[in-house]
Amino acid sequence: MNSEVKQTQPSIQRAFASRYAMNMFFTILILFILSYVGSRMFTHMDLNLYGYMVGTLVFLFGLFYRFLSWSERPPAKLMIQKGKKLVFRKRTAQTTTNDIGLQRFIWNRGLYRWFQHMMMGWGVIISCFVTFPLVFGWMYFTMDDNGFYTVVFMGLNLLTISADGFLAFLFYNSLNITAIMVITGASMAIYRRLKNMQARAEQTVIFDFMPLYMLLFVSITGLLLTVSNVFFHGFLQPELSLVHQFSVIVTLIYLPFGKLAHIPMRPLGIYVKNYREHYAKESMKKCKVCNNEFVSTEQSNDVISVLNQNEIQFKKEEGFHLAELCLPCRRNYRISKFSGVKTHLTKAKEANQDARG
Amino acid sequence: MKKVLYIELENCIGCRSCLAACTQCGGHEERNRNYVIDVNPFVDRQTMPMMCLHCENPPCARSCPVQAIQVHETGAVLSAMTEKCLGCQNCTIACPYGIPKFDVEQNLMYKCDLCIDRTKDGIPPMCASVCPTDTLQWVTEEELAVKKSQFRLSNGMMASMEDPYLENKTNVHVSLPGILEGKEKLF
Repeated sequence: MNSEVKQTQPSIQRAFASRYAMNMFFTILILFILSYVGSRMFTHMDLNLYGYMVGTLVFLFGLFYRFLSWSERPPAKLMIQKGKKLVFRKRTAQTTTNDIGLQRFIWNRGLYRWFQHMMMGWGVIISCFVTFPLVFGWMYFTMDDNGFYTVVFMGLNLLTISADGFLAFLFYNSLNITAIMVITGASMAIYRRLKNMQARAEQTVIFDFMPLYMLLFVSITGLLLTVSNVFFHGFLQPELSLVHQFSVIVTLIYLPFGKLAHIPMRPLGIYVKNYREHYAKESMKKCKVCNNEFVSTEQSNDVISVLNQNEIQFKKEEGFHLAELCLPCRRNYRISKFSGVKTHLTKAKEANQDARG
Repeated sequence: MKKVLYIELENCIGCRSCLAACTQCGGHEERNRNYVIDVNPFVDRQTMPMMCLHCENPPCARSCPVQAIQVHETGAVLSAMTEKCLGCQNCTIACPYGIPKFDVEQNLMYKCDLCIDRTKDGIPPMCASVCPTDTLQWVTEEELAVKKSQFRLSNGMMASMEDPYLENKTNVHVSLPGILEGKEKLF
């Protein structure tokens, strides 16, 4: 049986013990090639950052483990397969800007939460964009004796900037700026979690607070490096840099497994939105009882198939699957089961169910 | 001692206190997650509460692509985790009872979490705390067994049995309108 399954796989997959092994192999291979090219044949690797590189590789092991095992679940698999096909829709750019860039849905949860999340989110993302290229030698700076820096990206001289110009200031201080962003956001988040009664009801120290403490740990130790260099002539610099390295590596290793796992997962929201919009345009499912359209036909069928794979069948003697009923009709159908009265067949609008009227 | 939510459907008088109380629970952000349904709207005023029955094998969680719906150790099926929910609404389609609600603006599913803030410490959920007619009760498993036995008629028949009327095994127990043996009800 196994050999049959394997024969249907592409030949490249048969060279590896598992999908995990294959993905890991190619990722490390690509990183290796990129570093080779980017650092001009490894001549510009910053060995001071060697620890981060090892930490990043361990992080990748965790990330692939977590996400490949997750992507095997039936609903995730379906969503990824269909989302992939729709990724080049026109609306993708707009959805990415709104949901990832501007995080509009958090704006709708409140200005305070939006601001704290923008600070933390973009602080972390920009930090990653700055740090990883430096660690792998994709980006470095060279300076001649003329007061100008040359920014080298992927082995190419990207731009030459005045060493005391504004752009150079941004380059030197990018991680200081993002550290301040993250500290601001994380402090606001901790304050909210301490004060807000809604948040206090459900949060736990390990799941909700620890990631915030870790972000603070990383940002504060990173910022202290600058403080040490600028104000204290590098006092405790070697020790501080080790502590900072430790904080970053621990956070990276933890990232795929805790609350921070939503950072790599969130872009799938674009798949989901594309999936819903695209199939809603194609054809809408009509409720088998009231005939109102309530979801795309595709999604209704997908949910039925996912439930089947989980051995959950809601096929009723009336001839419909419960996932083919709109929500009010499904509730009414249950009441009809409880009471014996055919509530779901009564043509009455469901009473207002919002306690606020 | 483990307590469970127990619903005696026929007691409901449609006061909707449970809806109002639901909004006041910590973590509910002033949005109610339960329903009161008119049984036979053009004929009588009978109502019945509908809320998440907290399935032992919850279809909402099984259909969630990102595992945003977690099952608490008490058996309560929780609302979608805010950071994980991608807003696909699979859960609303999968639920056999039509319970999960969806906030389009916030792109977030929310549902009855059995007032986990309270029930994890043994405090009854808001709806059961305020129900004036004992439709919603917070009972121990022993009390539940006694209540169930009251519906068992002396001829060996069950006057009211929940299993055929539900799709699966649930942590919330429902008593259908039925005949009580040797017991006078207050309501």
